[in-house]
Amino acid sequence: MYPPAPIFELKNVTKQFGNFQSLTDINLQIYPGERVALVGSSGAGKSTLIGLLNGTLQPTQGEVWVLSRNMARLRPKQVRQVQRQIGTIYQQFHLVNDLRVIHNVNAGHLGHWSFFKAAISLLYPLEVEIAAKALMQVGIPEKLYERTDRLSGGQQQRVAIARVLVQDPAAILADEPISNLDPERSREIMNLLCQLSQESGKTLITSLHAFEYARRHFQRIIGLQQGRILFDAPTEEVSSVMVDGLYKINPHTYREIGGK
Amino acid sequence: MTNNYNPKFPNRPSLLNWRTLWGLLFVVSVVWSLQVGRVFQGDLVNTGGWNLVFRFLVAVLSPDLSPEFLLLTLDATFKTLAYAVCGTFFSIIIGLVGGVLSSLVWWKSVSFTGFQAPWLVVRAILTIPRAIHELIWGLFFVNIFGLDPLVAVLAITIPFGAITAKVFSEILDETPHQPLLAILNSGVSPLNAFAYSLIPQAFPNLLSYGFYRFECSIRSAAALGIIGAGGLGDQIFLSLQSLRYEQMWTLMFALLLLSGGTDFFSALLRQHLGIPSRLDLNVLNIEQQNSLDRKEHSPYHFLHRDLVVNLSLLGAIFLLIFSFWYVKADFTKLWSPRTAQLLSRVFQDAFPPDGSQLSQMFTLSTQTLAMSILASTSAGLGGILLSLIAARKSEGSGETPESKIQTVLTRFLLLFARAIPEPIWALIFLFVLFPGILPGAIALGLHNLGILGRLMAEVIENLDQRPLLSLKALGASHSQVFLYGVLPLTLKRFLAYILYRWEVCIRATVIVGLVGAGGLGRLLTEELSSFDYKGLLTTLIVFIGLTFIVDMISALVRRTLS
Repeated sequence: MYPPAPIFELKNVTKQFGNFQSLTDINLQIYPGERVALVGSSGAGKSTLIGLLNGTLQPTQGEVWVLSRNMARLRPKQVRQVQRQIGTIYQQFHLVNDLRVIHNVNAGHLGHWSFFKAAISLLYPLEVEIAAKALMQVGIPEKLYERTDRLSGGQQQRVAIARVLVQDPAAILADEPISNLDPERSREIMNLLCQLSQESGKTLITSLHAFEYARRHFQRIIGLQQGRILFDAPTEEVSSVMVDGLYKINPHTYREIGGK
Repeated sequence: MTNNYNPKFPNRPSLLNWRTLWGLLFVVSVVWSLQVGRVFQGDLVNTGGWNLVFRFLVAVLSPDLSPEFLLLTLDATFKTLAYAVCGTFFSIIIGLVGGVLSSLVWWKSVSFTGFQAPWLVVRAILTIPRAIHELIWGLFFVNIFGLDPLVAVLAITIPFGAITAKVFSEILDETPHQPLLAILNSGVSPLNAFAYSLIPQAFPNLLSYGFYRFECSIRSAAALGIIGAGGLGDQIFLSLQSLRYEQMWTLMFALLLLSGGTDFFSALLRQHLGIPSRLDLNVLNIEQQNSLDRKEHSPYHFLHRDLVVNLSLLGAIFLLIFSFWYVKADFTKLWSPRTAQLLSRVFQDAFPPDGSQLSQMFTLSTQTLAMSILASTSAGLGGILLSLIAARKSEGSGETPESKIQTVLTRFLLLFARAIPEPIWALIFLFVLFPGILPGAIALGLHNLGILGRLMAEVIENLDQRPLLSLKALGASHSQVFLYGVLPLTLKRFLAYILYRWEVCIRATVIVGLVGAGGLGRLLTEELSSFDYKGLLTTLIVFIGLTFIVDMISALVRRTLS
């Protein structure tokens, strides 16, 4: 039922930070156009997984394949070429606060722009129309020339999404995009992300703290617990027993429920 | 504009704003300074000097390591260190007393009626010693006390004490006042209330600034050598003038060790104490609140736990005793009748000031200003570039062995640039450049480049890495991450540092003037050495006026850009 080539593939991936093993022996395939939610309690390894997928982290063991290329085998320039195809949104927004919105949005072009063009644009903003259109799509066109740190949290997350729109990647990764927002803002942002992914057919992978959003918006849910995949199933097959197991502290639960 | 047709989009903001205004003024002032420095007229290089430069550079390979000379070097090093320690000790005492007395919160605590006249008076008194460079104080005291170690200690103490007092008072005024008010309201005397609330609260910041002053004192003590006050600067000056470059390099290495060691130790201690970058206290007042929050329980608690801290406390006491013993300054001279006599004669001689040379002073003022602009511009731009290489890379950002070597090498270059006192740099450049403001500007620029580069590297190291990583994650190259991440996040602070160094540079033009680099500094030193106190007073007034104008412009730029 899936097209043959996965956009992301993890083969026996383990990631260690010092003595702490964040991810253990992960095998995973994600195909173009899928909408996948990563769920699990904090420290389950969701952010690490996102970092491996967008090339900011390298696995301690195993291989990460993105767009059919082994990330460990690429030279820095090639890594950047792959990274252009992946847009990431973060819990803390990770925008450059001291820049105007237009420049943060235009940063989405950086993978394609020359250094010279990037420098000129800081002095005299270029491609304003594209940026304005992206901001229109996320609903804050009037903030084009505002300083980014003057915006509210929800608005900053919209700027981050506009940056990804300008980047126009094949896949969007979102690392807990709504954890810092109130419920109303959370709903808006989740709707926006899913709508954008549906309209353009882009792959969307979102890590989420709260299970409810995952069930409502995604086709496939991957449950992580203490660095291991507890379950990986289409949304309709995820039972409440599986979800309960996810948030238990007992390290041995995964064997009983995961059944592998 | 492209988006005028859509009423929902805001128009491009006008290009007419403070930023472009200051930008244009900056460009104009740099061109003007180059003009004043006669850079466009050619004929700057004295080609006959290359021979000396070659000899000078080759000598680095064969420093004089004979036992007698090493002993002399050691003595000079101890002397410089001892001057710095004694100077810092006294300036911190002055700083504490003056800081409390010139803080608004003290006068509010003493009288609830809001009578603040004494506050203004103390502040005004403290501005004068601050505006005059250590070296001018030094030359002045040489006239009074002769070549006594006392000169060096006093020359550091007086201006540094006044600066410390100003910064301490600002720290005290910005520390939260609720605990103080609570104690005061229960009937405790202001002095006791201060000792139990405000001083302990502000302690980490006061200590941090104290370290910074010590680093400055070391550099200053070395520079003071060239007026004959002894120590490393004195010896370097002598060996440079008598063309004994092998000896000069030995002394230079000693100075590098001393200065580098102090910087390293100060950084280590600050890290162990968990206190903020010391210059931030001087330039920006943003970080303090955070650092206070971190230490909300007991500000003194760290003093009893950390081995490094305990050892350095012991070391500091030992160093202080050693320094006073080594300096052998004759402090009785301070209150001897002869000193009082000489001082009163100087004051009688100085009045009324001599106003006959005002037109000449205008020309000299423009030279001094141009020199300071060229120096701080080159130091600022160079500092930004070098700090990028000098900043230690964070983990996971692709640190390679080559980049590590680059980092270490650049750090050493910066250390070298700041360890060498400005007048020594000026003398070196006078080998190949004709006297004028250009060698002075280069000397000041190099010394400040070393200071700025290190401060900026610290800022870059402390940056929030997440926005930078997110730019990298979307495929931006290193240079683009710099442009869209590092630069916007640091520019404001870099500008503040550069402006602060400009204020320092304008004062320091005096000391390169001493070796013939032109400007008001040269006139000042001439008047001092010919005991022309009337002329000296006039020049000083003009000079202080100039520094105030620079301070005001700098403050205005910072305010309008924040």
